[in-house]
Amino acid sequence: MAALVSTREPLLVFVGSGGVGKTTLAAATAVRAAREGRRTLVMTFDPSLRLKDALGVGEEARDREIPVPLEAPGTLHVSLLDARRTFDRLIERYSTDAAGRDRILANRFYQQLSGSLGGILEYMAVERLFEVASGAGERFDQIVLDTPPTRQALDFLEAPARIVGFLDSGALRVALKPWFDEAGHLKATARWGGLGRRVESFLDEVVGLDLLREMAEFFQAFAPLFAGFRERAREVEALLISPRTRFVLVSGPGEEAIPDTLFFARRLLQAGHHLAGIVVNRVHPRFDLPAAEGFRTAEETALDGRRLLAWLGERDERGLAALASLAGSRQPLLSVPLAADEPTDLPALAALGDLLAERFARASLG
Amino acid sequence: MDNSPARPLAACQLIVVTGKGGVGKTAVSALLGAALAEAGRRTLVAEVDPRENLHQMLGVAPSGGEILRAGPRLWVQNLSPQRVIDELVSEQVKIGLVARRVLASPIYQQFTAGAPGLKEMAVLGQAFRLLSGRAGTGAPAIDTVILDAPATGHGVALLAAPALVAEVIRSGPIGRMSAAVAELVADPLRTAVVTVTLAEEMPVQEVLELAAALEEKLGRRPDLLVANGLFPPFPPALARDAAESDPAAVLWRRLRANQDRELGRLAATWSWSRIDLPLLPLARGPELVAALRRAAEGQAAWKAVRS
Repeated sequence: MAALVSTREPLLVFVGSGGVGKTTLAAATAVRAAREGRRTLVMTFDPSLRLKDALGVGEEARDREIPVPLEAPGTLHVSLLDARRTFDRLIERYSTDAAGRDRILANRFYQQLSGSLGGILEYMAVERLFEVASGAGERFDQIVLDTPPTRQALDFLEAPARIVGFLDSGALRVALKPWFDEAGHLKATARWGGLGRRVESFLDEVVGLDLLREMAEFFQAFAPLFAGFRERAREVEALLISPRTRFVLVSGPGEEAIPDTLFFARRLLQAGHHLAGIVVNRVHPRFDLPAAEGFRTAEETALDGRRLLAWLGERDERGLAALASLAGSRQPLLSVPLAADEPTDLPALAALGDLLAERFARASLG
Repeated sequence: MDNSPARPLAACQLIVVTGKGGVGKTAVSALLGAALAEAGRRTLVAEVDPRENLHQMLGVAPSGGEILRAGPRLWVQNLSPQRVIDELVSEQVKIGLVARRVLASPIYQQFTAGAPGLKEMAVLGQAFRLLSGRAGTGAPAIDTVILDAPATGHGVALLAAPALVAEVIRSGPIGRMSAAVAELVADPLRTAVVTVTLAEEMPVQEVLELAAALEEKLGRRPDLLVANGLFPPFPPALARDAAESDPAAVLWRRLRANQDRELGRLAATWSWSRIDLPLLPLARGPELVAALRRAAEGQAAWKAVRS
């Protein structure tokens, strides 16, 4: 029988659209793992204040593993992910000398890139996972990773491949050419003839030479790191596909969440990832009330919160049934009921973790 | 303190609708679009979303980027930032063959993809082109653009992008457009910022952070706050013993109490022009938009939209 927490698969990655509650489920699963006797680490991006309170950690856990005072046979550590610091550390690791490192870290283009470029945040989550899983692997035998709140959960999965693709692309070789002479002027690309001059004056006009200089400097300073960086991205990619890593896909309730969920599930499987299961979170309970009886319009129905809840319960049940028939039985499908309140302490997280583990085991049997 | 916008939204040229993913930005953009079009403004509602959820909300088939009519004086468009940049370049490099070779060159693609803020600027730049009648032949004349902003990151990154790009690129078509767009976005008489949230902890936290960042970086605040997905207030008459034996009533009361706590947190931090929207038993689409609009129009804060 499959279990959510298992010795053979020490890495558990929670994915899904933003706002579906995956951070709380990841934390609850980690509490459960610790209570099963495992040395557990949960890594998360953006926990709510209440979840941080529940775990008893604050900013000191940023980029570090902080122990949670939990009375359990195992242990629980929490780490808040910081993409920027992870990236900085990666630069430091692969830089050959301090001057080269400082040139990159101080580069204005790098500062923008590391903070804003789509995919970097996602890549840094897996990079950090790899860092902990390989280096500090002796300290933990269960790692639970929460992923960034992107609308497109796929960015996260494609990030290592995209980094490798970028490093191998012709665009990079072009960018690495010595475009500027020592005076900081664009070298004339005479062999391009008229077209070359046009491209240059166009780039000057459209993109601005200051920016080009910053980018050229960045790529050149970055060049010595490429080999290590590319190798690392390949290893990260391999880790994500290895049977040691399993994914838990978290979905919102209701029919409108189904297309996203199916899309993510297919992509995970197509890319060769191991999908442990699909969790439909915050499912409204069924109430034995006619959803709209006696009301003529949606507005009238909505005035009675009980009828509204009855409608939501019916909607979520339809959603679950549709998802079950569309997703097939290749992976367990389970639901977690809506709780009026999010967990605010460790016992509440433990209860949620137990419920999830129990439903997972039951769904695996079915 | 009264936090009403400098002018009603209906008198602005650009309305940027921001908020976390899943809070109902698209429904709010659609309802504002419908209301402004009815008020006589020629309105285009724009989204940046490959799935074109806004089209679904307005009952229009996906268009892949074309401007489509969604009603009298109402249009909808799905924006592609790269397409806007490419169009600007094609206009600048007038020889078609040269333009195509520039657009196909890897260095151009890498630079336009990597240049900080350029994509965000391009989205606002397209709004600017529509408003100034420079969006090409066949584009309708537009009085107001409502932008259903992308969910990723804080809305402030989007709004600050034109100034960032204008600082780096000082000449050429992109430099000139960035400067003009930065001016448009900073002008409270022409641009309004609407923030949509659910009455839940994380979205509310993000609204508070957004408001602080907007004040710090652009010297302005959101002009209108929309709290979406609210359960109806729990009636005192139900609150006595009878409710305890009714699990649906118990859940209703607790869910609404949590929402009240978050609304209280918003009210305690800032005074807002705030419109509250109910959670309605309707699927995404024009019927939901119409019902939400009826709910919004009955509220005092609607004067921030249309006086």
